[in-house]
Amino acid sequence: MKVITPEGDKIDLLTVNIGPSHPATHGALRNFVALDGETIVASVGEIGYLHRGFEKMVERGTYQQVLPYTDRLNYCSSIMNNIGFCHVAETMFGVDVPERCNTVRVVLAELSRVIDHLVCISAALVDLGALTPYWYMFNPRETILGIWEKLSGARLTNTFTRIGGLYRDTYVGFEGDVLAVLKDVEKAVDEVRRLTEHNRIFLERTRGVAAISAERAVSYGWTGPCLRATGVDRDLRKDEPYMGYETYDFQTVVGSTGDTYDRLMVRIFEILESVSISRQAIARLKPGPVNTADTRLSLPGHDKVYHDMEALINQFKLVYEGVRPPAGEFFGSIEAVNGELGFLIVSDGTGKPYRIKVRPPCFTQYSAYYELVEGSLIADSIACLSSINIIAGELDR
Amino acid sequence: MSTSAARLQEPVVPATPEARKEFETRVFVLLQEKFGATLDPLDQWGLTAVLDRNRLHDAMQFLRDEPSLRLDMLLDTAGIDYLEYPGHDLPRFAVVYILKSMVFAAHRMRIKVRVEEDDANVPSIHDLYASADWQERETWDQYGIVFTGHPNLKRLLNHCDFVGHPLRKDYPAQRGQWLLANDPMIDQLEARLKAKGYQILESPAPTSPALEETSFGRKK
Repeated sequence: MKVITPEGDKIDLLTVNIGPSHPATHGALRNFVALDGETIVASVGEIGYLHRGFEKMVERGTYQQVLPYTDRLNYCSSIMNNIGFCHVAETMFGVDVPERCNTVRVVLAELSRVIDHLVCISAALVDLGALTPYWYMFNPRETILGIWEKLSGARLTNTFTRIGGLYRDTYVGFEGDVLAVLKDVEKAVDEVRRLTEHNRIFLERTRGVAAISAERAVSYGWTGPCLRATGVDRDLRKDEPYMGYETYDFQTVVGSTGDTYDRLMVRIFEILESVSISRQAIARLKPGPVNTADTRLSLPGHDKVYHDMEALINQFKLVYEGVRPPAGEFFGSIEAVNGELGFLIVSDGTGKPYRIKVRPPCFTQYSAYYELVEGSLIADSIACLSSINIIAGELDR
Repeated sequence: MSTSAARLQEPVVPATPEARKEFETRVFVLLQEKFGATLDPLDQWGLTAVLDRNRLHDAMQFLRDEPSLRLDMLLDTAGIDYLEYPGHDLPRFAVVYILKSMVFAAHRMRIKVRVEEDDANVPSIHDLYASADWQERETWDQYGIVFTGHPNLKRLLNHCDFVGHPLRKDYPAQRGQWLLANDPMIDQLEARLKAKGYQILESPAPTSPALEETSFGRKK
């Protein structure tokens, strides 16, 4: 491609497709670039390779049947999406779930945050050529997936929460398993910090690379760790507390320059905060019901269904017709791993959602990617991509 | 550092129900006086203000820049098709803009614009919020609502050859389409280069990931 630069030089640009199926894109993302040597002069892209029609599919079933679909949004931390959708639906109903349910949800949410950050950081370091942290970080992740398996029977797509509670209570020995894995997580984070923090290669590959200003990030709708890396101290768990987050002692982790280094470091320190929140939640875990007593949402127990006609009808109506939120439009969100995960629910008063719009945090973050990488090297664009942690499942829906 | 950046980096006061209520009352009165907004009765939980599309751009600019409101983040843009909504006698489509503030935690609201099917267009606000660019493309892709003034209103999630708008209620969920073409994207790349001050002398031949793979295969 022959062009004249703004400085008046006549040069040849090479056009290259990076992706859609390239190991470093961690999913199917196409980035079409014009290169001057190894420098990206202009970059455009295409998404949608993983578009499954989430929003069309969920209109066909009941509200409870939306849950398995939410697993497939951010598949690195499925339970977080389950919690998000259930929390939004419960807020729409105006129903409070029992304390034990909220506390278990906080443990699960923070463990999800931990594994998602572990995957993001270790994959980012692999892209920079550092393979060892991957082994250190994937071991505790594997243990947490084992806890998921004991809880729900599934490792990745858990569908563990229900609107109004949980699929079931935790198993005997859950607290011990969580406390043990938190130690492993801390050890892994400590080891990776020692490998990276003063590592010249890591610092030179990430510092000042693909930086974004706070204003630009806000205009692009960035939320979560990527926004906090630019220095904006916003976290829904602090600003608009839900699920009792205001009662936990933790800090938001804030960066300063918004470059690749800050984005990765914010995640590393957020893991430690999540570990602390999980410990506090485990300490206050008391026996009790995990499902709300509200019969509009919760299935009656087996003992009742088998012996009481009203309970049988209730079970039948809930399963066949679905839970029925009041007619209207509601938007609610939670602080998911990558940022604000929101659901706009349009209800016509029946048991099937009329329309659900997901607000995935990745979508707005990835739309800034092309602007971020212009002017940087190809290798740096790969480092930038892994630091903003694009999960194609929620990007493309 | 500019003053607005300093403002962004200050900690915010956590939202309370009272602060939310106070904001919603205040902002609605302002929107009503300045832009003739009406309340959307479907939203019984928060505030959704319905605006005429001709006032949309000015209203969004006001909401973003007014120091006491500062709704500086466009979280999402969603289309809604009311074709099968019970008892709905208003225009078929609506575009909903979900806004929040980075400066005041309690500031959250939605703006709704209604459009008829045969005149489904809304002015683009990509110049106010950078996030609107992709969100408007997605809404056009899924609902066929045109955002006038958008620089690159192409499909985003669906394939470039796709026919129809799948989230419309009259699009059957099971309909299949056989899609083969690739979007070479050279037009987008050239537009990007021109915006940066480059002058294009010679365009490259259209290429695509799939074409590259087949031509590599033939050479062997």
